[in-house]
Amino acid sequence: MSALPEVGAEAPVLVRNPTALDLFMFSASAWLLHRIHYDTPYTVEHEGHPGLLIHGPLQGVYLVQTAESWLGDRARLASISYRHLAPAYLGDELQCGGTVTASYVGGLELELWARKSDGTLTTTGKARLVSR
Amino acid sequence: MGVITDEARRWADRQYPSFDFEVTATDIAKFAHATGEANPIHFDKDAAVAAGFSDVVAPTLFTYVVRMHASALVPVDQLEPDGSPSADVPPLPTRRAMAGETSVVLGVPVLAGDTVTVSKRLAEMYEKEGRSGPLVFVEMEFTFTNQRGELVATESFTRIYR
Repeated sequence: MSALPEVGAEAPVLVRNPTALDLFMFSASAWLLHRIHYDTPYTVEHEGHPGLLIHGPLQGVYLVQTAESWLGDRARLASISYRHLAPAYLGDELQCGGTVTASYVGGLELELWARKSDGTLTTTGKARLVSR
Repeated sequence: MGVITDEARRWADRQYPSFDFEVTATDIAKFAHATGEANPIHFDKDAAVAAGFSDVVAPTLFTYVVRMHASALVPVDQLEPDGSPSADVPPLPTRRAMAGETSVVLGVPVLAGDTVTVSKRLAEMYEKEGRSGPLVFVEMEFTFTNQRGELVATESFTRIYR
């Protein structure tokens, strides 16, 4: 089992381009009925958005996947928190990454982020992982 | 001058009925595929067993599925026009909801066959002035346990109404 990465090490960037189908599947699987994720006329005309929104919780999952696809064989997630800074819309590409901010015996901490290809941060977070 | 009326303020510290979610391998596979999970332990029992689990294991944030069903698996006349469950929406003039901050502390994993019970509380409500008018922050707290009484996760989640 290889050692955990040092402070400053960066996760491989995870790229996600959720389609209308992905957004619908996420809403359906979670029974998330909020129309801004699947009903374009409602979202544009009644909520004033340019298009369907990529779910905040789906971006949270992307941050988890960024951490787990990098370190999941060596460590498990103990906690994660994240917040949304700007909306992401259908058609936006999200690049998700992370950096080790603390490393100690038995675990580490990560800073995580998702941003659009124009650089706008949409979601940032922090996670703590413990060695398996 | 605030937008949180006394009527809305009475929602603070509200405890909701607990909800039991009987987790099937199908529920887990749906969420796994919806989120593009590559790890087959989430949809292939053989892979899960090879990894040391007794059945397929739910992705880390599957508790989101549990708490959404707890909120939204209701007759349609208990939903708002935007699809939000009415029981989650305090009487506020700000009606457009967005996700704010989420914080999850993880316990034991969820496996197919588990029953996950979520208890839910509206912890806090406060307002701030945003660029386009008032914003109301509603903070919910969730505790998830399994049929053995083990802690699956705790979560706090803030929804923002504008």
